[in-house]
This record gives sequence, C-alpha cells and structure tokens, in this order.
Amino acid sequence: MKTKRIGALMLAAAALLPTLMTAASCASDNTIVLRVFNWEEYIDEGGEGSYQYDYEVNEDGSAPPIIEDFETWYEETYGTPIRVEYSTYGTNEDMYNQLQLGDEYDLLCPSEYMIMKLAAEDYLQPYTDDFFNEDIEENYYIRNVSPYIRNMFESNRINREDENDTSTWADYAAGYMWGVTGFIYNPEYVDEEELAQLGWNAMLEPQYNNRVTTKDNVRDSYFVALAILYQEEIAALAQQLETGELTDREYNAQLTAILNRTDADTIAAVEEVMNEIDANIYSYETDTGKADIVSGRIWLNFAWSGDAVYAMDLAEAGEDEEGNETESALLNFFIPEECANLWFDGWVMPKGANTQAAQAFVNFLSRPDNAVRNMYYIGYSGVITGDPDDEEYGSMVFDYIQDCYAVDPEEADDPVEYDLSYFFGTEAVFYAEREQAEQRQLHAHYPTEEVTLRCAVMDYYGEEANEAINELWSRVKSESLDTWAIVVICVGIVLVIAAALYVKFGGKIDPFRSKPKKRYKRIRQENCY
Amino acid sequence: MRLHFSRKMLGIPYVVFLLFFVIIPMLIILFYAFTDREMHFSFANFIQFFSDPTKLSTIVYSLVIALITTAVCLLIAYPVAYILARSKMKKKFVILLLFVTPMWINFVLRINAIRELLSWIGLLGETNYFNTILGMVYDFLPFMILPLYTTMLKIEESLYEASADLGAGGFTTFQRVTLPLSMPGIASGITMVFLPSMTNYVVSDMLGNSKVTIIGKFIYEYFGTNWHMGSMVALILLIVVFLSTWLTGGLRENETVRGANL
Repeated sequence: MKTKRIGALMLAAAALLPTLMTAASCASDNTIVLRVFNWEEYIDEGGEGSYQYDYEVNEDGSAPPIIEDFETWYEETYGTPIRVEYSTYGTNEDMYNQLQLGDEYDLLCPSEYMIMKLAAEDYLQPYTDDFFNEDIEENYYIRNVSPYIRNMFESNRINREDENDTSTWADYAAGYMWGVTGFIYNPEYVDEEELAQLGWNAMLEPQYNNRVTTKDNVRDSYFVALAILYQEEIAALAQQLETGELTDREYNAQLTAILNRTDADTIAAVEEVMNEIDANIYSYETDTGKADIVSGRIWLNFAWSGDAVYAMDLAEAGEDEEGNETESALLNFFIPEECANLWFDGWVMPKGANTQAAQAFVNFLSRPDNAVRNMYYIGYSGVITGDPDDEEYGSMVFDYIQDCYAVDPEEADDPVEYDLSYFFGTEAVFYAEREQAEQRQLHAHYPTEEVTLRCAVMDYYGEEANEAINELWSRVKSESLDTWAIVVICVGIVLVIAAALYVKFGGKIDPFRSKPKKRYKRIRQENCY
Repeated sequence: MRLHFSRKMLGIPYVVFLLFFVIIPMLIILFYAFTDREMHFSFANFIQFFSDPTKLSTIVYSLVIALITTAVCLLIAYPVAYILARSKMKKKFVILLLFVTPMWINFVLRINAIRELLSWIGLLGETNYFNTILGMVYDFLPFMILPLYTTMLKIEESLYEASADLGAGGFTTFQRVTLPLSMPGIASGITMVFLPSMTNYVVSDMLGNSKVTIIGKFIYEYFGTNWHMGSMVALILLIVVFLSTWLTGGLRENETVRGANL
C-alpha cells in the first residue's frame, strides 16, 4: 500500500514538472526564441573588453553584448520580438554529444570536419535561397563575405560519404572565423633559419627535446605526423609548382589529398611518427602552452593562429595571463614552408531550425561593424571583408586591419608592402613593418596568399577511419606493455593482495563459528595457496 | 485518499536520488557497454577491450599508480593518525585541521600550485609519473587521515594498559591491539583513496603534462567519440574497484566502518 502511495506521489511530481517548465519558458506569446549553440568566448560579450567603435555604449562606457544588439535590431527590422537562448560548449565532440542526446538548436558553430560529419549523418538543413540574394540589404553575409572564403566554400563538397551528393559547404554553412596552424617560438632560444630548415620536423628535433609542445587533440597531432611522414612527396609537389608543371589549384588539391590520407598503411606509419613525437615533446596541452611559452618554460608551441596572436600580445606587453608583470619578450609565429592546416568554424542549422531567425543572426554578425567587434573580442580572424560598393560598412574591416598593423612607409624602419587582395577581392595593400609581416601578429592574423596556397583543410575522416585513428591516438598516448609484463604485474598484484589477506586473516577464520556466508568460503579458498 | 505521514516517507528524497542518479545511470552504462553503434546487443566492446594490449596496459598502469598512491598515503597517514589520536595535547584539533584544510581549498587551484612548484624545482615534464603520484598523494591524504584518526580515537586507553600489563612490548601491542582495531579505518581509507586515484585524470594531465594516461582519461576520451567503448571501460573499472573494495574488507558487514563519516 505504502509503496503504491509513494509511487503515485512521484508520478504526480513527474507529471507536474514539464507543465511548470513550459509555463516558465513562454513568457510572451509571439516572441521568437532562437537557440544558438556556440564555442565558449566566441562572441562579443560586451563590457570593457569590447571594441570601442562608433556604436552606442552604456553610460559607464562599456558596450552591451552583441546578442542584445541583435535582439533590438531584429525587432526593428522584422517587427517581431526575439529572444536568443545562448549556450556554449568546449569541444566539437561535446557539441555533437549534446545533439545526440536530443538537445535542439537553431544555430551551431562547429569546425569544418564536424560540419562535414553532421552533413554526412544528415543532421543539417541547407540555407534558403533568400540567404544568397545579394539584392536584399539585410543579407550582410553574402554581400560581405571574403571572396577567398566564398570560393573555398563553393568549391568543396560537403558530404564525402555519398558520391551522388554534390552539395557544397556553402549550401549548409556560413563561415565565421578561420585561421592556420604553426609554431609560436621564442627567438631567444630557437634559431630562425634552423627552424625554417626543419619545418614540422622541429617536433622531432633532439635539440628541442622537452622544449616543444603539441595539442592534446588527435586531429592536430595526426596532421603534424602526416606532414612529417610525407615531407618528400610534399616537397616534390612544391618543386612541380615552381617549375610550372602544376597550377596553384592543382598543387593545393594534391597537397590536400596527401594531408587527408587515412588508409591503413598511412595510419600504421603515422603511429611510428607519433610515437617519436611523443618521446620528444614536453607536453600535450590544450591551454597551458600559451603560459608556458610566454614564461620561457618551452621554446616552441604548436598553436592556432588566433592563440598565437594572443600569446605574442601578452609576451610583448610583458604580462602573463593573470596580468602579472613578466619579463617582456618577443615571440614569433612560424608557418612551416611545406604545408599547414587551414581551419574554419562556420554557422550551420540543424534540421528543424527556425531558418529565418537563424539566418538573420548570421547576417547580423556578418555586418562589418559587428564582424570587427567580434574579431576584436575573440582575437581570431573573421571571414568578413566588406562589400566594396557599400559606403557605410564597406571599408570597416580593412580599416580595422590597417589600424592594427599599417605603418607610414616614410617613417617606419623597414616597411614592406603587405598584400591581402586575394582575401578582400579588391585591391587591399598596405605597408607594414617587415617583422610584423613575416613573423609576428600580422603574419598569423592574416596570412598572405602565398601562405594560404600551401594550407590544406582537413576533412572528416569518415566513421571507420575515425575509429582507427582514435585507437591509434590512445595507443600513442598510453604506455604499452608487452603481454608478458601485463601478466607478471597482474600476478604480482594478486600475490600482494593474497599475502595481505593471509596476514590479515592468517588462518584464523573458522567458517563454522560465525554465520556460514558464502563470501567467507571464497576468501578461504584464496588463502589456500 | 489521505496521505498519512510516516517516518519512512522521509526516505523519499533519497529514493528519488538513488533512482535518478545511481540506478538509472548504472543501467544506461550497462546498456551502452553491451551494444554497438546500431544499438544491437554485442560483446564486441568486451572482446576488444581484453584483446587490446593498450587498454590492458592502461588498466595495469592505473592500478599501479593507485596502489602506490594508496600505500604512500597509508604510510604517511597511519603514524600521524596514531600520534594524534593518542597524544594528550590540548590543541590537537589544530594539527588535524592543518591536514584537512587543504580539502577546503579549490582542487584546481591546489593542483596548479603544485604544478608551479614542480616547474620551479625543475621536475615538471621530467618525472611525469612521480609528479602524478605526488599530486594524487597530496590530494587524497586527508581522505586517509580522517577515517584512521576517528577509528583510532575510539580505541580504549585501557586496552593499551592491559596489553602492557600482560607483558606485551611495543611491537606486539601494535600487532595485536592497534592494527586489528584500526582495520576498519584502514579499509575505508583505502577505499576512499584507491578509486579516485585511478580516475582523477586532472592530476595526471596537469602534473604529468598529459603524457601519463590513466583509466579515467581513457573513459573521458571515449565519451567524446564512442560511448559504447567508454561505457565498457567504465564498467570494467567499476568491477575492478568493486573487487578491490571487497578484498580490503570495505564491504564486510560485521565490522562497522566508523571512519566513513566525512
């Protein structure tokens, strides 16, 4: 009886709960809810860290978060109130797990390979035709996106699992931030020319033993190992490019193919390289590397370009991450001659998303003033360049870059022309200090066309290869014992436990005196040897 | 229908808690461990685990790290607990407090502090396994001291006197009186140190520079890519821990574990 009553009580509580929750969530009747799921710290959150641009600021001088601005803008433009439910994740895999658990969102911001995985598993909804109409004023994304990024998105197929699916990245994704990988290095300890000679081999170089770090993440580590493994083939390609045998396009396509190899032989060979790297590096890290390179504990740090800019800024200012003073040092960024990884994060809509609101959000973030705000806040490079015909916003991004890096050629010591025309699609040249252009923040922030030519995007490996590579990763990261050693240690542990038990009970157990329970018998059997 | 209040109803919150946070999750782990990606019943994960030297090695390494951590904790904690419990000092709670206070300071902060310290000495990145064990011992020591101390506090002084009266020397007294009577404390201390030191991968990541892989990290990484294998590893860990707890007598009913009052 009693249990039944408890059960009834619980049922009642369970039945009430959802009603309560829905009652709380729909405060207003016609407010649209837009559920955005983004990386942590990957949007302008307002406050004092905001870029002081000519937009309205709070009374205390701090800016409102960009999301609030969006809500206001949306209501003004489309006449319906909107509320953004914004949540964040730490890794692509976390995001994927949330999706699998059944969480529903209107807009996600995964990295390129995760976008491809989601597309292959049919999670995504394509952007509507409206989104690509350049005549609509509010279509800021398509009007302002960099032609370089646009071309890349339009010329790559998204679903490699299905031969018949010809849709491209552009159909399903709108770019947000992008960058390359390389090394941050401390020129005090690392010779520039030597490093240029070594390229990715620096990971294996004995003189950097215990002074170089890599990322604690399988894809980045796999890429580096591939670059080392196939360096001769890659060098031969570069040779062919130089002699004119290959066009830029062919060269990049072939390079990308090499750096996406996942056949069994490659995986086996990569394992050896990764083991060598494992023996040479100081640590696998996700965020301690920046502090370690700034403090001088390590000399070389595999880094994403945005992080590199951040670390170089810190070192230059003579501060550590907590703002304590440290010895001011200059750090450089190095993108190996042979190849590098080009990554991007993009906005995608899962099936069932509110496409109108989601696309409006992407467009709002792509308005050049907002793009600059985000870039300033996050420190990465956005995909927005600005529409040259737009008088109000057209030149904002280029102005921002010039604000950061341009110098007066008359006054600077060693100015060089820095050409970003490939990225902007119009003439975009300015003068920068040679150091900035060749090895410092600018080099990392906006690599030149020559650098991007040798950059390859890493695709989603596919289910099967992914599993094999994850297994490989766990083998590399853990210490592997021989079978006999496992047996010896296991036997040793069992003997120690048996000895301990013997000391503890020492034959003193009389199973018939206390209650004859089964487990005493079992313990006694163990004592027999 | 009128609901009669009875004392048993005070247990409802616990029953609900047990159901939602212990029993159902356990069943889910069990379900995932024995299914494949298509959600069909399969032993594939089980077979794969035991045929893969990497996974077995990792289990063995974790076991060894946990055993050493537990042993070192016991070696440090036992004398301390004994001295504290038997001393006539008036302010001995102050000393006890000194051992326990670190527990109240944020864990990440403590591990970061050790990391800086090791880096300053020059051991960081050099002795990854030593660093990991050091961090674990530092972190879990209070969990060993407290149960030992409370158990030993309850050993009657008269027992020591009787032992001395009967002519037992120091070692015999220890062997016949102190050790057997502090067994419950040892058992609960071991249980509370052993399991976390097999799974606390934050310590091995921070102090071992992510070059030390223990079983907890394994589970974490698998849950990023393959929940089924992750569940299987978690299940096997559960069994290992269950076995070791049973062996140390943590589950023996006739000895009330008095120390587990943290």
